[in-house]
Amino acid sequence: MGISQRTEAVGTRRRLPRRRSGDLCPAAQRGQAMEEDQAAEETAFVVEEVSTIIKESVEGVIGANGYQHSRVHQWTNNVVEQCLSQLGKLNKPFKYIVTCIIMQKNGAGLQTASTCFWDNTTDGSCTVRWENKTMYCIMSVFGLAI
Amino acid sequence: MSEAAKDKGARRASVKKRGSVSSLGSHDVKAKETTGKTKDSLSTVSYLDEAGHQEENARLVQMENTYIMAGPSKRFPVLVVTDILKDVLGSYLQEEKYDAELCRQMTKTISEVVKARIKELLIPRYKIVVLISIGQLGEQSMYLGSRCLWDAASDTFATHAFKNSSLLAVASVYAVYFE
Repeated sequence: MGISQRTEAVGTRRRLPRRRSGDLCPAAQRGQAMEEDQAAEETAFVVEEVSTIIKESVEGVIGANGYQHSRVHQWTNNVVEQCLSQLGKLNKPFKYIVTCIIMQKNGAGLQTASTCFWDNTTDGSCTVRWENKTMYCIMSVFGLAI
Repeated sequence: MSEAAKDKGARRASVKKRGSVSSLGSHDVKAKETTGKTKDSLSTVSYLDEAGHQEENARLVQMENTYIMAGPSKRFPVLVVTDILKDVLGSYLQEEKYDAELCRQMTKTISEVVKARIKELLIPRYKIVVLISIGQLGEQSMYLGSRCLWDAASDTFATHAFKNSSLLAVASVYAVYFE
């Protein structure tokens, strides 16, 4: 429901300048501030949205399947593909990088880290660690504003 | 409801910061734990709540769009960056044995070093994402894949895999042109 509200706003409202703290009187201008927040959210990287997309993709493709070496290649492709197409449907001005690691669970360790050089005001990242009984799946999504 | 509001506030706070981000400090990554829908899977979401470190007295330059159709003036040098990855991974990991705590620190350090080395190349208008994974060499198999939604004419990546007797490391650098 939240999403449909936001898409409606895209068509009807021009982009408002980003709000500076303290330049609005909260009581009198709350309405305007909320509009601005909403407008900023249109073009922002929203972690909740993205993490939901990731989780749904992984659940949908892998679900409760056990680790099968022959299918991992296909799973990785499908998860990433599906995730990317859902992200594309958000219609936001972003370029996306999606990575996926699937590892069989047998006690071996795996560490992963990332650093980014970008504009913190617009760009964002989200990592989801997902596991079932037989495997780990680590998905990272980076969104870089155009 | 209140949780959603809080998240929103946090997001707004993080939106204000600018500079370069890293996961070097452990305090700045907010991890949320949620159990998945099915009873036999579990997922954890982590993301940057507060920007990791700001460039001290950074030039807070707000880049604007160029509106130039003809792509980047200087392309991202993939080969040079691949050499950097080879060099950094080799020098940091050649002698190391897998150890969870060491590798946790190592992924962060290496990703910082790689980012710094790439920034030294002074390539204008490219945003950089560095992703390092270190895994233990065991009997297990692992598959790492990635796919990007971007402009293939200007954006590119470099990757290098390193292996010694007890661990394997995969480093990828994604370079995205800011149009």
